[in-house]
Amino acid sequence: MASFVRAANNVFKQMLDLGINKGQAESEGDSFISQGFTVMIGLTGAWQGWFFLDMSQDTAVKLAGIMTGEEYETVESEEVLLAGAEMGNIICGNAITDINSIHSGLNIRLTPPSVFAGEGMSMFNVRLNACSVILQTDAGTIKLNVVMREAK
Amino acid sequence: MDIKYVNAFINGLIEIAGMLGVNDLTRTGLDKREKLKTENDVNVIIGLVGDIKGNVVLAMQENTALNIASKMMGGMPVAEFDLMPKSALCELFNMVSGRSVGELEKMGAITNITPPTLIYGHNMISLISQVETLVIQFSTAEGLLELNIATED
Repeated sequence: MASFVRAANNVFKQMLDLGINKGQAESEGDSFISQGFTVMIGLTGAWQGWFFLDMSQDTAVKLAGIMTGEEYETVESEEVLLAGAEMGNIICGNAITDINSIHSGLNIRLTPPSVFAGEGMSMFNVRLNACSVILQTDAGTIKLNVVMREAK
Repeated sequence: MDIKYVNAFINGLIEIAGMLGVNDLTRTGLDKREKLKTENDVNVIIGLVGDIKGNVVLAMQENTALNIASKMMGGMPVAEFDLMPKSALCELFNMVSGRSVGELEKMGAITNITPPTLIYGHNMISLISQVETLVIQFSTAEGLLELNIATED
């Protein structure tokens, strides 16, 4: 988890020039309620699971605006989704590189990112436990959520 | 994506659904996905890593999901979309993907899958794998199903 927070911290600072305050890591059980916009990236290898980057639709629009320098109104524009996906990909990629180099042999690999946005979304993972950290940024609250288990 | 790989998923879905009691699954169409909006409230997603990289999503409306879950439980009525139907659908799609990946391996494409995750919400917009998505529609007495396949080549 620390690797993910570190990666997010670096990416937000370098790419977006946004400072973040991190919250406490907490355990969340097998499901969580989305704030409205979620980027999800699958992980396979010696551990398998998912990485979620969850934020409100407003935050997603703001972040996309900062990344591309253009103004967007809703998440229905494809660029907002792509920007979110790319951000998730970079954070997750950095974190996994870090984890793989600390624990050699884990050999975790990523799937391409997918993005879901909608009202009252909930995510459910069977028999997996999630761990999340809430980050407060100037663009809004962003939640990092990681669910993993050892591969059989 | 090579069409023979797509067939592995179609066959997988039909076979596993049949095994779990949904016998009348028929393919009704195949499309390239053009819009981001999805009418389906229930989406089960599984990631693929290896020789084939991407995501596959099984999407349906809530009613269909309830009907299929009920069928899987041997006809027990399922009124509410709670933990039980959610985990039933995840398991269904996990079996489908597992079987499909087995078939892909026989074709020489060694692929790993992630555990399934179910996303439930309204008025959803989705972007799968940042690539063009192939949508295969199925119909059954339980309702309509959509299999979205998005892989990077």
